Amino acid sequence: MVNPPKLEQYQYDMERCIHCGGCRWVDHIYTPGVRFGVKCPSIARFEFDEYAAYGREEIGLALLKGELDYSPRFIDAVFQCQLCGACDAGCKRNLDLEPLLTLETLRARCVADGQGPLPAHKKVADNIAKTHNRYGSPHKNRPQWLADDIKPAAKADMLYFVGCASSYTATSLAQATARILQASGAEFMLLGGEECCGYPLYATGQVDAFIKQMERNLEALKKSGASTVIVNCAECYKTWRVDYPKVLGKSTADMGFTVMHIVEYVDQQLKDGKIKFKNPVEMKLTYHDSCNLGRLSEPSIYWEGTRGKYGCLEPSKEYRRGTYGIYQPPRDILAAIPGVELVEMYRHHENTWCCGAGGGVRDANKDFALWTAQDRLEEAQDVGAEAIVSACPYCKENFSEAIKNGKEKLKAYDIVELIAQAMKVRGGKR
Amino acid sequence: MSIAREAYRALESIVGPEHISEDPVTCRAYRTKSYRRETAYETICMAPECVVMPKTTDEVQRIVRVCNRYKVPYTPTSTYWYATSSPKKPNELMIDLKRMNKLEINDKHMYAIVESGVVYGQLQQEALDRGLYTMVSGGGSQVSVICNHINQGWSPLNYRTGLIGRRTLGIEWVLPDGEILRLGSLALNEDDYSWGEGIGPDLRGILRGASGWMGAMGIVTRLATKLIPFQPERLEPTGISPDTTLMLPQNRIRWYNFNLPNRESLERAMYELGWHEIAAAATKVPVLWRYIARAKSKEDFWRLWSQVTPEEIASTHILRILVVGYTSEEQLDYEERVLMDIMERLGGEFRRTKPSDESWIKNADSAGMWWMTGGYVSIEYVIETIQHGVKQGVAIADLKKKFVPPLVNDFGDPGWFQAVELGHGDYSEFLTYWDPDDKEYYKADQMYLETMKLNIDKGFYSSFLNAQPIWLTGPAFGPNYHLWQIRVKKAFDSDNLSNPPGLECYDEIVERSDHLTRDWEKGSMEEVV
Repeated sequence: MVNPPKLEQYQYDMERCIHCGGCRWVDHIYTPGVRFGVKCPSIARFEFDEYAAYGREEIGLALLKGELDYSPRFIDAVFQCQLCGACDAGCKRNLDLEPLLTLETLRARCVADGQGPLPAHKKVADNIAKTHNRYGSPHKNRPQWLADDIKPAAKADMLYFVGCASSYTATSLAQATARILQASGAEFMLLGGEECCGYPLYATGQVDAFIKQMERNLEALKKSGASTVIVNCAECYKTWRVDYPKVLGKSTADMGFTVMHIVEYVDQQLKDGKIKFKNPVEMKLTYHDSCNLGRLSEPSIYWEGTRGKYGCLEPSKEYRRGTYGIYQPPRDILAAIPGVELVEMYRHHENTWCCGAGGGVRDANKDFALWTAQDRLEEAQDVGAEAIVSACPYCKENFSEAIKNGKEKLKAYDIVELIAQAMKVRGGKR
Repeated sequence: MSIAREAYRALESIVGPEHISEDPVTCRAYRTKSYRRETAYETICMAPECVVMPKTTDEVQRIVRVCNRYKVPYTPTSTYWYATSSPKKPNELMIDLKRMNKLEINDKHMYAIVESGVVYGQLQQEALDRGLYTMVSGGGSQVSVICNHINQGWSPLNYRTGLIGRRTLGIEWVLPDGEILRLGSLALNEDDYSWGEGIGPDLRGILRGASGWMGAMGIVTRLATKLIPFQPERLEPTGISPDTTLMLPQNRIRWYNFNLPNRESLERAMYELGWHEIAAAATKVPVLWRYIARAKSKEDFWRLWSQVTPEEIASTHILRILVVGYTSEEQLDYEERVLMDIMERLGGEFRRTKPSDESWIKNADSAGMWWMTGGYVSIEYVIETIQHGVKQGVAIADLKKKFVPPLVNDFGDPGWFQAVELGHGDYSEFLTYWDPDDKEYYKADQMYLETMKLNIDKGFYSSFLNAQPIWLTGPAFGPNYHLWQIRVKKAFDSDNLSNPPGLECYDEIVERSDHLTRDWEKGSMEEVV
């Protein structure tokens, strides 16, 4: 049964926000100082308090209580945010509140009340409805990334869900991923007629359209018979692993299939000795934790119950605090590549500064997306990295564009490019 | 309502259209912030009519002058965690200082110059990177360094670093009427922040008041604070949220917990630490906090706390001591031996500690005060002697019994107290927790008021005078300090534009609240000359 969260469910969270700024600052244990001491791009860029989670909680509460009406400023405050979850991990270091779910449902409420989506987000939704991908490219072109040497199985237990970016604009990443799987001896299939995972819909509050997309994908997966969905896109990963069960009112563990990112697979294969990195990659790298693979990737745990005295929940709820995101596997992979010198940026793991692309921001406000990426590039440069590596095509795309526009001499890679090079399979970095 | 159009246009010309907003969405986002929000402060706090964000002292000065020209009341804020910093009059301008975030450290002379938007976590890390350190406020690393310096500045580390007033150096101060006053050495040389006491004027006493004016005396835009030499080893950040912590180099920094046989021996131990000039901090921690530290969730806390007995509280006298080998490993060894001698004599029983810190050196968990109940306020805090702190804590704990429930029962635990300045003083704080959804939530305010009367009755001091009805506490503590505060305020801010009602804030709260009763004679600021 479809059961998307409603804003009313988060009234307690909005009322109990204590405005401590845990959503804004890098965890003080890890803060490097003034520069790079903030982890929320939205408040850093727009500065007024309605652009921080604590301000959004205040205006969301006012909306819920009928004390504030929609306005252009309200919509701007709600949508000028990457939904990167930095606020969520920061808040939950000390408190049992749900700022990110509150904002997600606030966006859904705006759309339900006819105040959204933003025109750019509507365009993406139209593209998905018509062509099943966010770009509006012909659906028949989706499998064109398949090179001659890539031979997916007709049926397999593992299904490689390619995603829109790797299918259309970053095809080398799809090729690298497939070749890594092949070289490791994995048999994998593709989803015939694959469509968008729906991330751009859910992130922009278009829940009804998202539900339709989700239902089509789940039905297709069921028909395929596969039990593991493997992805190389962090947005797809979080959508399949977290958002589908959340909207269905289920836990990830009860979905009947496993979602795996390519870094989890490669890490396991490396540790089992089934993959070896023979080819050196001489480079000083820094790893950028994609939000949707890091702090936002913990499985969804369905909770239903009541709130009592002191706000205690019955039964107790297991919060997703960003503690168990996929942080170590990509670092272990990079550290295992001969020649790689891995340096850490100041904001990492759950304190990561977003690449800027997520939450519909790159579609609706590219300047803000690139401003955010630029700040991250400066951080990478500050720690002496020659290249920034992520595990999501959208991070790479946004960093690459910011590099092109800016003066940093960095390079941006997706981790599959480096893995492919280290494994000596085609599709490695160029 | 809105501020006068002429004033708005003048402000816009100062900061540019992108740094001013009177949109209802912006103003609502700046409505009452957290600390004390869940108390009677809610009756007086309101959203501003306009928010402006200056970047430089020059812009601040011009903004304040516009406010004076058009009689616009204004409230300055930077991290804005305290309801007292909320607008409380109609048509107020909020001056958000978060864009002023420059930090410079003078390594040679060991001080930092901060602007209003710099927070403790940032300053502490940049100091540590240079082998120096400062204290971090009990309010947390997210607290503005300037706001805390001109307010209270309490921290367990004050045991060794000294009280904050002694470490405050040159100050750049935009007075309530827009004049700029530079204090200390800064008065003669605009680049020299190194000294607070002169040759130029030293008005730090007036600026800081009893425990701060909460923005009612204009805006400090830059301030220098003394940094203290620290030990040289790195404190390694470790863990993933929520379990992040600083690993302490065990050859240089160690924790010690001792349970003393009774309150008297605990008090004696604090004095003896100071007499022997050892340790970096020494605090008596409420038992409740130990349960917070152990709990994995709010529900887990209540499961654990429900098993606590009055006997456990009565027999728990934990003294938590931080020892730092500032100069050498030998210093640490020496201080540890002295500490062990003291504890052996006093019957202190050693308790397990962790080799890490997440709350004193870089305080990261102060927001957790709200975690268990959603409602929290410090009823009292005081700088006095250790003896005073112990006696007052016991008396307030006894008073609290009248208000349990709705206040959380901590079975007579006399709060948190710590030695200050090597035992020459004490800082004590009495905390209360309740459920804001409880119908009798207002009893927290009633206890707050009763505590003031208890202080007057028993002759206890209070450092909370900035948040009390001056017409109740002024005559009792002064007998005329409140009259002098009013005169000072009038001399600097004759139109009472800087964070009004300022001194009479809590008096107004008492008048407006349905649950608080005034049974003392109230004067009038206007009549004081």
